[in-house]
Parts: sequence; C-alpha cells; structure tokens
Amino acid sequence: MDLVVETYELHKYFGSIRAVDGVDLSVRSGEIYGLIGPNGSGKTTLIRLIIGLLRPTSGSIRLLGEVIPNKAILAQTGYMTQASALYEELTVRENVTFFAEMCGRYDPKWREEVIELVDLEDRSRSLVRTLSGGLRQRTSLACALAHKPRLLLLDEPTVGVDPQLRATFWSYFRNLADTGITLIISSHVMDEAERCDRLGFLRQGRLLAEGTPAQLRSQKSTTTLEEAFLQFAVEATEGGL
Amino acid sequence: MSLRRVLTITRRVMRQILRDRRTVALLVFAPMLMLTLGAILFRSDPAPIPLGMLNEDQGLTSPVIGTIDLGQRITDELAASDALIVVVLSHDEVDDRLRDGTVEAALYFPEDFTTYFVENRKAVLDLRLEGSNPTRSITITAHVTQAAMRSLASLVGTGFGIPGPQVTEGETALPVSVETTYLYGGEEFDTMDFIAPVYIAILSMFFVFLLACVAFLRERSQGTMERLAATPATRIEIVLGYMLGLGLFALIQVAVILFFTVWVLKIHYLGSLSLLLLVIAFLAIVGVNMGILASAFARTEFQVIQFIPLVIIPQVLLGGTFWAVSDMPGYLQPFAYIMPIYYANNALRDVMLKGWGLADIWPNLAILVGITGVLIILSSLMMRREVA
Repeated sequence: MDLVVETYELHKYFGSIRAVDGVDLSVRSGEIYGLIGPNGSGKTTLIRLIIGLLRPTSGSIRLLGEVIPNKAILAQTGYMTQASALYEELTVRENVTFFAEMCGRYDPKWREEVIELVDLEDRSRSLVRTLSGGLRQRTSLACALAHKPRLLLLDEPTVGVDPQLRATFWSYFRNLADTGITLIISSHVMDEAERCDRLGFLRQGRLLAEGTPAQLRSQKSTTTLEEAFLQFAVEATEGGL
Repeated sequence: MSLRRVLTITRRVMRQILRDRRTVALLVFAPMLMLTLGAILFRSDPAPIPLGMLNEDQGLTSPVIGTIDLGQRITDELAASDALIVVVLSHDEVDDRLRDGTVEAALYFPEDFTTYFVENRKAVLDLRLEGSNPTRSITITAHVTQAAMRSLASLVGTGFGIPGPQVTEGETALPVSVETTYLYGGEEFDTMDFIAPVYIAILSMFFVFLLACVAFLRERSQGTMERLAATPATRIEIVLGYMLGLGLFALIQVAVILFFTVWVLKIHYLGSLSLLLLVIAFLAIVGVNMGILASAFARTEFQVIQFIPLVIIPQVLLGGTFWAVSDMPGYLQPFAYIMPIYYANNALRDVMLKGWGLADIWPNLAILVGITGVLIILSSLMMRREVA
C-alpha cells in the first residue's frame, strides 16, 4: 500500500521542550488517520512539521513520496488550522478561490462542488465577517479543499463545533476519503478516534501506538479507546522509568 | 460606586502596560528622541553658504584719491563673513556651478562697477541665485547687501564722498540695490512651493507604511499567513504581491494629492507631473516594504502606531524636509543618507523647482530602487521567523 506520509526518527525541540520526540509515522493512501492525544502532546507541531512549516531538529519526512521541505508538493496538500484562518473582508467564494489560485489549481467547477460539499451554497456570497463560528469552520474546510488536494491535514477541525455540525463534518471527511483523498485529523476526543481508519496515539511528543481502533483496543483488551490510550500511557511511563 | 473596584481596574491597567516593556520604554524614550533631534536641528549653526564671485571690475583711478576698486573691497568683505565661502568663478561656469550645487549664488561685478558707483552714487549688485529654496535666497541676498553696505562705509573719510541714506520722495533709498536673477524659480516661489513636494512625499509614505504594517500584522494574527505558508507561495511572492497591491493604492492616493496640490492649492512646479508621480510611487513602494518589515516587530496594532515616532518622525526631521542636510551637524548627516525620504526629497525638488528631467534625477531614483530591493530581501527574511 502507498504511504502518503512517512516520518523517520522525527524530533523537534523548542529549547528544552521536546515537542516531537522520535516519531515514526506512516499514513496510507486513502485512509483517515487520526492523531490522537491530549493537549500539548505534539499534534500541531507534528502536522506543522509534515507540511514543512517547521524544520525538524532531526529526522526526516516524506510527503507524497517527496522529501520535505518541498514547496511544490504543497500544491497537493490541504491544511486547515485550528482557528479558522480566513480573510474577513472577502466572501466565502473569494476565500476559496484565493487559496485555490495560490496553489495554481483554480477550477470554478470544483470550487462550486467544494462549496456545495460543505453546504455553503446559500452563503457563498456572504462576507466571512458576517458568518457564525460554525459557518466559518466550514469555509475553512472548503479553503483547504479548494485546490483538489490528495492529502488533507486537519488540525483539530471540530474544536468548538457543536455536536450536530461535528457529525456533519465527519460525514464530509468520510465522503472525501471515499473519493481517494487521504486525511490526517488531529483530535483529543476519543469518540472521534473511533471514526478513523487508523490511529496514532501521541503523548509527550512520542507515538505510543499505531493501528486501527480495533487493533488498539484488542492489544490492551479494553472495550474503549480511552481505556486503551490510558493503558498505553501507563506502560510508556513505566517503561520510561 | 466602589472605590475598590476602580482601584482594581487601575491596578490591572497599570500591570498590563508594564508587561508591555516596549510601550513603557517608548513613553519615555520617544519624546526624548524627538526633543533631542529638534534641539540639535534648531540650534545648529547653518553651514557657510558657497557664493560664487565673478569680479571683472576695473576700478577707478583718480588723481585725487588714487585707485579704488570697489568690486575687490566688497569681495574681501564677503570673504571675511562666517556665513559665506567665496568661490572665484569664470564667466562661463556660473550657471553650471549653480546647477551642480557647488555654489548657491553668484555675484557679478561688471568692468564699470566702480565707475558706475562714482557717477551715480549707487552700487547695483548683480546677484544670480539658484532659487529653489526661497528662504535660502532671502538669506543670501541679506548677507550680500550687508557686506556691500559695510565696504561702502569703509570708504567714508577717504574723500570719496560716500552718501548716507538719502531721503527721496519720502522713501529711504540705500546706496546699494541688489538686482537678483534666478537660475530656477524666482520671486513668485514661496516657502510653500519649497515644502509642498516633500510634504506630498511624507504623507503618501506615511499612510502606505501604516496600511502595509497593519495589513501584514492582521495576516499573521488571523492565521492566514500560516495558511499561505502551507501553499506553494514563497515569501518573496507574498512580499511582492503586497507591494504591488498596496503600491497601486498609494499611486491613486498620490495622484489625487498631487493634482489637488497643483490645481487647487496652486503650487508652482516646473517639471513634468508624470515624473513627480513616478518618484512618489517609488517612495510609496519603499513605504510598503518598510511597513512589512516593521510588522515583524509588532504584535498588536497599537504597537504599529508606536512606529510613527520611531520610524516616520526621524525621517521627516532628518531627511532634508525642513532642514537642509548640509546645515545639519556632521554626525547627524550620515543618518540623512540612510533615509529613503532624503532621496525622494532631492528628486522631487529637482523636478518641481528646477524642472529637471529623468536624465538628471535618475541617481536618486536608482538609490530608491536599491533601498526597495534591500527592504524586500529583509522583509522576506523576517517572514522566515513565522513562516518556514
């Protein structure tokens, strides 16, 4: 199976803080990969490293077969930040167009499809300034999809989103995966982890375990992923000592 | 009303301000900087003015008093003045030396200068002024008139018969009159004409600087910069994109201000308007890039405003806007040469007041382009800190 993202012995230190501490990650083509861990476990740093926004202290990354850093490959990846980073003075449609053009892949037909996908047809001419938090978050997702990326990196896309919209978002994600797009989604919510194809448990910058939700549960003989995570964490702490 | 609550708020506000060390430093430091600069500039003695001298006076020899050469006497008197440096010129080089700025005025004594004085009891000084700075023209004329009066006074008692001020038809007629001609401009040029070109330049640079600084800051604070960085767009592309976008706005702004100045305020100008527009456009582009660079050092929009006393006001004071750079103390002059506005001022005055063309002002433009290039590189490098 094709590996879309591979990291090898990846380290990133900020001074004495080890934000990412020896991560070997492998994400397969077409899957929804969940980066699961508590706040401060290094999820955002890992995503920023993968996309080349940060330089690793040591270790290497391959993204879509290319060694990072590689600006050109970013035309094939979509990135959604925690905060819905959008131009407030532009409309939904203008924001989507802008990010598509930055990747050199503007296609008006696809733009309309994306806007439809996130159910924003009615608001596509509204200024972002006037939108509610949920609508902004959808616009942000549309911007990440604007250029038909092969890989989508979503950094806690459902933080601060109401349960109904969260369910909607996960149905979008599944639809996207069905069209062959690979998704890497970070989250600290365990019921979201259940919806991923494969997971990486992240804690204190280290990858505790990797596998499908079922595999991870059965490895620790637990009924929930939450329990499994805690067991892995305890094991890592004891092993570390 | 609870005093306690009021004081709690007071304490919180003070604590917040104290946490922002730069604001505290600026509250104290910025006024001191501005006052110091002002004091230095206002108190500095102006540099001596180079005065060209073309003396063809043959003098007059009379059996009674011997030889008298009035031209030479006035020249000596002028040479003794601290405010002037006398440069002897030949007939052909007057206008060239005025144009290249090595003399600011030229005084001409014709062959019959002394003879004319003796016959008419009046010395007529032929003074040619560079003319682009009206204040300067007045100063030079005053110095020359005084020197002439003093040297005529020294003739008193030589038996030469020097008239005192004569009262004719109720007016006091001095025995000296100065007939001025101008290389550029002329008497209709006033101080506003001299200030206007640089005023326009400062305004356009100031606004575009703030605009760029805030726009770039917002890009970072709303997170879109991070998102841009995750596209194939490079830093230099982002900087150039901003430069063009804001530069175009600056151009429209400049055009409106310029036409208003020329047609409504009736400012005199000689050169071509499109050349003026070009110079100011270059300065505006410098302003955009300065704004982008400065935004890297600001976290809030309030901190952007703090750049006004730090970045803009020194440019205004030291860039040759109100004080000629040559009049500034030597240790301040190098600062003028690093101010982009200094080069724009030179070019704008050359065009508006002297009617110079592109062929004459290109060195100043080239320096502005060079500064722009350096700023583009610096602002791209500054983006490295937040963008990979």
